[in-house]
Order: sequence, then C-alpha cells, then structure tokens
Amino acid sequence: MTDPLITLERVSRVYQTGRIDVRALDGLDLVVERGEFLAVVGPSGSGKSTLMNIVGCLDRPTTGRYVLDGTAVEELDDDGLAAVRSRSIGFVFQSYNLLPRTSALDNVAAALAYQGVGRRERTARATASLERLGLGDRLDHEPTELSGGQQQRVAIARALVTEPALLLADEPTGNLDTASGAEVMGILRELHASGRTVVLITHDADVAAGADRQVHVRDGRLVA
Amino acid sequence: MTPLDLVRLALARLRSSRLRAALTMLGVIIGVGSVVALVAVGQGATRGITSQLESLGTNLLTINPGSATTFGTRGAAGSATTLTLDDAAAVAAIDGVAAVAPEVSTQQLVVAGALNTTTSVVGTSPSYAAVHNDTIWQGRFLTGPTGDLGLRVAVLGATTASDLGLGADAVGTDITIGGIPFRVIGILQAKGGAGPLNQDDTILVPLGAVTSHFVHGDTVRSIAVSVASADQMDLVKAEITTTLKSRHGLGAADTADFNVFDQAQLLTTVNSITGLLTVLLAGIASISLVVGGIGIMNIMLVSVRERTREIGIRKAIGARSRDILFQFLIEALVLSLLGGLIGIVVGLGATAVIGAIAGWGFAFSPITLVVAVLFSLAVGVIFGVWPARQAARLDPIAALRYE
Repeated sequence: MTDPLITLERVSRVYQTGRIDVRALDGLDLVVERGEFLAVVGPSGSGKSTLMNIVGCLDRPTTGRYVLDGTAVEELDDDGLAAVRSRSIGFVFQSYNLLPRTSALDNVAAALAYQGVGRRERTARATASLERLGLGDRLDHEPTELSGGQQQRVAIARALVTEPALLLADEPTGNLDTASGAEVMGILRELHASGRTVVLITHDADVAAGADRQVHVRDGRLVA
Repeated sequence: MTPLDLVRLALARLRSSRLRAALTMLGVIIGVGSVVALVAVGQGATRGITSQLESLGTNLLTINPGSATTFGTRGAAGSATTLTLDDAAAVAAIDGVAAVAPEVSTQQLVVAGALNTTTSVVGTSPSYAAVHNDTIWQGRFLTGPTGDLGLRVAVLGATTASDLGLGADAVGTDITIGGIPFRVIGILQAKGGAGPLNQDDTILVPLGAVTSHFVHGDTVRSIAVSVASADQMDLVKAEITTTLKSRHGLGAADTADFNVFDQAQLLTTVNSITGLLTVLLAGIASISLVVGGIGIMNIMLVSVRERTREIGIRKAIGARSRDILFQFLIEALVLSLLGGLIGIVVGLGATAVIGAIAGWGFAFSPITLVVAVLFSLAVGVIFGVWPARQAARLDPIAALRYE
C-alpha cells in the first residue's frame, strides 16, 4: 500500500483575537488515502473552513503535523506553500472565484502560468481542459457571460488543468440550483472514478451523501 | 508568469479601464512633456545666442575706454575718451594680432528717396569686415583708399538696406546720412539676430567721414581686435594692456583707463547663465513629474483594494508573493512608461512650436529623451513599489473572503 495522500496529526489552529484565543482546530487527526472521495461535513463554526484552509495550504497549523503528497507542509514558508498549491492542489470554491474580466481560457491558463508553462502549451492544455468539461464553445466568454453552472465548470477546469494530486471543493454546489448542483456532483464523481482524490467540504448532508466516505467536524475535532 | 506575460496582463488591464488609465498617465505626460520642452527650449536659446555671439567675430577682443575720474568723481565706464587712432596703430603692431578696426559710431537719420530710418553709423577701417566676420552681398566693402581719404561712401547692413527699400540695384545710388550725401558702395550679407542683438541694422562708412562730418576729434569709440588664433587670446590681451598703459603714461600697478573685453568670456558667461536657467526650469517641471508619480501611486493603491479578491484567487491557484508584486509593479511601470512616451511626443511638439515662433528652429538632444524615459521608469518603480508590496503581502484567506 502506498503512502496516504494526506496525513494530519494532532493539528491545532489557534486564532488570537484580542485577549481570547479561539481554538478553531483542536488536535485533529485525519488520513486521506490516494483515490478517495471524502466529504468533510460540519455546521458553520465547526472548524471545517479552517480545516479546508490548512488542507489547501492557504494556512499553516499552529501545532501538529501535516504531510501532503510526501511534503511536510507545516515546515514550508509562504513561497513553499504557494508552490504546493500550484503543483498539488486544485481548488473549487462556492463562489467560483474566477478572475473578473478574464476569458474562460485565460482563467484556466492562469493556473499554468504560475507553474512557468509556456504560452502555447498553456493555451493548448487550458483548451483541452475546458473541452473535457463541455465548454469548448465558451473559451472566449468572460465570467459575467456564463451561467453559475458554467462558471463552476470553468473553475473545475482550472483546478484540473495542472493535474493536481488533490481536488479540494469547498461547498461547490452552494450557489447553484439543484440541476446545476447535481451536474457538478456528477463531474466530481466522474473524476473520482477516473482515479482522482477529491475532498469535498460541505454543511449539506445530501451533498455529502455523494461521497464515498464522510467525516464530521464539531468544535475543531472529528466526531464519529 | 514571465515578464512578457505580466506586460500583456497589464496592457489588457489598462485597456479595460481606458479613461482611468489615461487620467492617471496625464500627470506623467505633463511632467515629462514639460521637462522635455523646457530643456529643449533652454538648449535652443543657448544655441541661438551662442551663434549670434559667434557671428560677431571669432577670437574677438574689444577695447573700450574706461571711466574718467574728474575731480575725484569716477564717471561711468566709457566716459573717458582716451583711445586714439595711434593707439589702434600700436595695437595692430602687437604680435598675434590679425586685424584691428577702430570704430567711431553715431546715431544718424538716414534718408533714401522717400524712406528714412535712424540707425547707427559706424566709422571704421577696411579691416572691419575681417574682424567682424562680415561678408559682402552686393557691391564691395570699404577699401584702403576710401578709408584714408574719408570719402563719403557707405556699406549698408541687410536690415538697414531693406528698411530703406534698397535692393541689389541700389549700389551706386546716393543716400543722405545726417543730411550729407553718401554713395552706397555695398550691402552686407544678413547675419541674423533680433532686437538689440541685430547686427544687420548698421551703416559702415570710412572713419574719416565720421570724424570730419559728425564726431570731431581723433579719439575712437572702440577698437575691435581680431586675434590670429584662439590660444593666443590671453597673451594678446595682456600685451594690449601693457602697451596701452605705457602709451597712456600709466604704471603697471595703475588702474587702466580702458577695458579689454573678451568675446570668449562673454560666451562662457552666457552659456553658464542659460545652463543654470535650463536646470532651474527642468527642476520646476520635474515637480509635476513627482505629482504625476503620486497620482500613479494613488490609483495603484485603489486598484489593489478593488482587486483584493483577484489577488486572493491568484494566490490560491499558485501565485507567489513576488508574482503579485511584479504584476502590480509592472502595471505601474507600463502606466508611467506609456505616460512618459506620450509626454516626450507632447514635449517635442511644444519644442517645435516654440522653436518655430522664436526662430531658432527645432532643437532636441537624444540624451534628453533617454533621461526622460529613465525618469518615467524611475517614477513607476518608486511610486509603484509600495502599492505592489501591499498587494503581495495580502493574506490569501482574507483576500478570498474580501467582498
């Protein structure tokens, strides 16, 4: 058996707000194997957003260890974290987070630009990624010219174009109607079926049901 | 992201907000434009004045009478009438002196047919043309015999000739100077110049003609000396001083009753004054460049605030802090450089217009342009770094949540 993709050991994250320390994560342990489709479920304030920030290398744990794809993340500096995000993680956000006034193609290609991929190859790979998500005829459209479901598919195309080890989806269906939400969940399941590791973060039990395994977060810890 | 990618990104960004970009650049455009125009105007003026001074004669020394002291009161410079024709002859004998032209001038009413003008009538010798770099356009210059005899013949400056309506066919006709008839024997080539510096508004006549009809006596108003070569100037100047002092019965320690005036000195003085003025003008103009830079910084700070979320997204998909830093820095640089280039065009346009009006033509030095480009780049860096650092330092989580 290979190493797990994600190993969190006794991870805590403490925010200092004035005099009171807020313990958003409190000694949390989590292992995600390669190829898993995991849903992290919890109500707001449970610490799941903090968990997503740490798993997504946007933030570092205050204490504890985090190993992603063989890299000890808690030891990295800001540029190191940026490199891990660029190489190993694809984000899908609730609010799509596409670059404004930027075409779908350039949005997807931007992720490759930060890896230093040349212009021609960027365009080819971004086009291929968008075509795979059925957006081959929307390459020149800016976010405002696309529906919510289309924007989220552009975001997924951007997350996948770098071939990341981990696809991290934060409430990906939260802003979508039922049909578009179901479509996005279908895409995530397909990606999982083709071998990709997907971590889905949600407060919605119905959405979480689409994953293979669920963990529940409450008060900064995993509960059964 | 390669620098080229970032330049493309910056240009796309500026295209999407053209009006804002144009207004932001305006400060730099005005700053660079005025620096370029004022420096070019300064250089044009210097060149114009220098060429006029040079046309007065090369290696020219002018001897003027000093101030006379009567009953203990020192008069104005030139109040003494101590220079004589014999002094001029003595100066002509000095080694290194190429030519000497004694001059006696007077203002007279000149009439030719129905037209008249009042101008300076200079009585001088034939060597005047060599000393003052004059060339004849029509007819001939004063010659030895006419000078010696004090014949009533006149050579007209180009402006005087045109004021009197006299053209090429006027040679051989008569005019009256101060009521006395003179024959026109030549007209000089125009030398250029305007106002008090106009060297073309003059009439040259034999020295004897002036002393017998207008200014009596054997003193001269000034002696113009042409020195054979530039490196003999100081030597000849010293020799003239010594010679004239001894002729005037003055000891080496006494104050001279004349001044020897050096053309090169005047040139140096004029150049240093116009140079100083140019620096002063450029300094004032560069204040507007600084104001333009502050405008860029202001807009970049607003832009960083407006695009906080974009910065968060870029960081999430793998941008390092320095990618963001360079993105915003290059945007500021593109703004200031574009502004600088437009400013250069505007400045050169203004230079051409001013040059055409002032009559010294279109003057600009490539160095000014290089300096202007470097200046606008410097403005971009200096005023772009801080906003760019603000952008680069943003925390990705906070930036992503920013509404």
